[in-house]
Amino acid sequence: MLRFIQILSYGLLNGALYSLVALGLSLVFGVMNYLMVAHGGLIMLAAYTTFWAFFYTHMDPFLFILVVTPLFFIIGWILFKVLFQSLMKFPEGEKIKNSLLISFGLLLIFSNLAILFWTADERAVTTIYSGKVLDVFGVRLPYIGLGGVAIAIIVISALHLFLTRTYFGKAIRAVSLDHEAATLMGINVSKVCLVAFSIGFALAGIPGVITSLHAFNPAISFELTNKALIVLILAGVGSIKGVLIGGFFLGAIEAAGVYLVGTPYREVFGLILFVLILMFRPQGLAGKRA
Amino acid sequence: MRQLLLFLALVICLALMPLVITKVYVLNLIILICLYTILSHSWNILGGYTGQISLGHSTFFGIGALIFRYLWTLGIPPYLALCGASISSLLLASVIGFPAFKLKGHYFAIGTLALSMIGSITVQNIFPGVSFPPPQFLSKYDLVPIYYMALTVAVITIGLVSFLNRSKLGLAFVCIRDEEDAAESIGINTFKYKVISMTLSALIAGLGGGLFSFYVASYYYYVPFELGWSFDPVLIASIGGAGTVAGPVLGSIVFVILKELFAISLGQMNVLIFGIVFIFTVLFLPKGLIGILEMIQGVKTLRMPLRRGHDPS
Repeated sequence: MLRFIQILSYGLLNGALYSLVALGLSLVFGVMNYLMVAHGGLIMLAAYTTFWAFFYTHMDPFLFILVVTPLFFIIGWILFKVLFQSLMKFPEGEKIKNSLLISFGLLLIFSNLAILFWTADERAVTTIYSGKVLDVFGVRLPYIGLGGVAIAIIVISALHLFLTRTYFGKAIRAVSLDHEAATLMGINVSKVCLVAFSIGFALAGIPGVITSLHAFNPAISFELTNKALIVLILAGVGSIKGVLIGGFFLGAIEAAGVYLVGTPYREVFGLILFVLILMFRPQGLAGKRA
Repeated sequence: MRQLLLFLALVICLALMPLVITKVYVLNLIILICLYTILSHSWNILGGYTGQISLGHSTFFGIGALIFRYLWTLGIPPYLALCGASISSLLLASVIGFPAFKLKGHYFAIGTLALSMIGSITVQNIFPGVSFPPPQFLSKYDLVPIYYMALTVAVITIGLVSFLNRSKLGLAFVCIRDEEDAAESIGINTFKYKVISMTLSALIAGLGGGLFSFYVASYYYYVPFELGWSFDPVLIASIGGAGTVAGPVLGSIVFVILKELFAISLGQMNVLIFGIVFIFTVLFLPKGLIGILEMIQGVKTLRMPLRRGHDPS
């Protein structure tokens, strides 16, 4: 029993990271129907940024969230202007397809750039609290994982509040519902899309910092994209609160898989769940039928 | 007719090649081009003609390689084993691929990506070792039979696709790609044609996998299941020109040559450069490299009647 609780709690700690990983993808897909599969690549780049920043300054890696996030906001701004703005005029299906293909190309470029610059070696940021755990009735919870949970809850609540309580958030939600109607209401749709896209990029920085505390390598970008897509589908498209629940749910499912079958098949469970949900409930577990 | 003759002449030239050229390097290059042509045409049938973007072709490719190697080591002649590989790939497609058609549009792409990941992880766990060809083959290793097999399979593939290109079947595929709802409304059974498209695609991918297994002597079992085998055909077919006969061939030639050029000097850079080229193709050349050729030809044919008009005779 204790073993099960231990595995489950690890799964849930991972789940917090998964929901952060999916957050940016979900926002971008919800607002402008861009399927940014390059998201995992961005997180991987953010992890490397943190790694090198830590390597040179030796400051607490969690502090680098404040540096990495604005940096990725700017990168997102530039990439939108260069690559993604021209897709705005396409109808919905074409938009998804083209953004999928372009960001897929970006994913390949990012992961190969990373291999070129930093080789395929595993790396990790090692801090003084890296191996430390909190012991709760015999269940061991690593501090890094707990930090991840705290950050996930804070960031997702903040984004939720931003989208529901501020004027600009309202504009973003309006654009996600209907581009033309939003234009008629006097919303500058292309500006809103630009900002939402950049926020999506910035949100890749946060899981990047947390990923850098675990072991990572350039190939992790595919795995992370994959996790993000699973959570996106679990949560239902465009649901920010659903992302938190979806992430924890994926973590729990993987934990159940590890408990029942074994660690090598951890990811397979999430993927099978993913395919089943795509087939039978494409609107997501939490989503409403369109 | 002229195109057919040209194609036949090219095939005969290529078939006579090993008698003239003894350089192993050139043969290797042609085998690789054939391999990528087969794989990207397999993707092209499903993705280029029918518009179902699959990111799961590595599974079909891998199962082809796996079964081919298994049958071959049992002592079955390579060409029969190749048929077996192709059929096994079809069986896999009927188990996992056809249900995937419940997924529409981009859901199909990410769903098949998940399938290929499941395949790669499972194979890594079940077969962690290295696969070896039969020892009697290895003792007198010769590239020429591999070359002929590559050429045969490539010719069959190109023949099939060019048949598709001018048949009613191909027209139905293109119709589904362009507007699925409209296709259904004029009486095309979209599910049936998607299944046919998937069948052809899986058969060819299995052939490609078998060829890989015949060509590469020993490899880790998971290598043909790697995600790269799903991604490369997408890149090659899109850069060459998806939904055309010549596009994937042209794409494969460019891909293999770029790979060879940069393999020594830049190593990993070939995928990097290909990724950049790919993005620009998607953005600015939706018809691919073939589109450029067509544009040049189009300009020529536009000019010709004008000139004739000025001609007094």
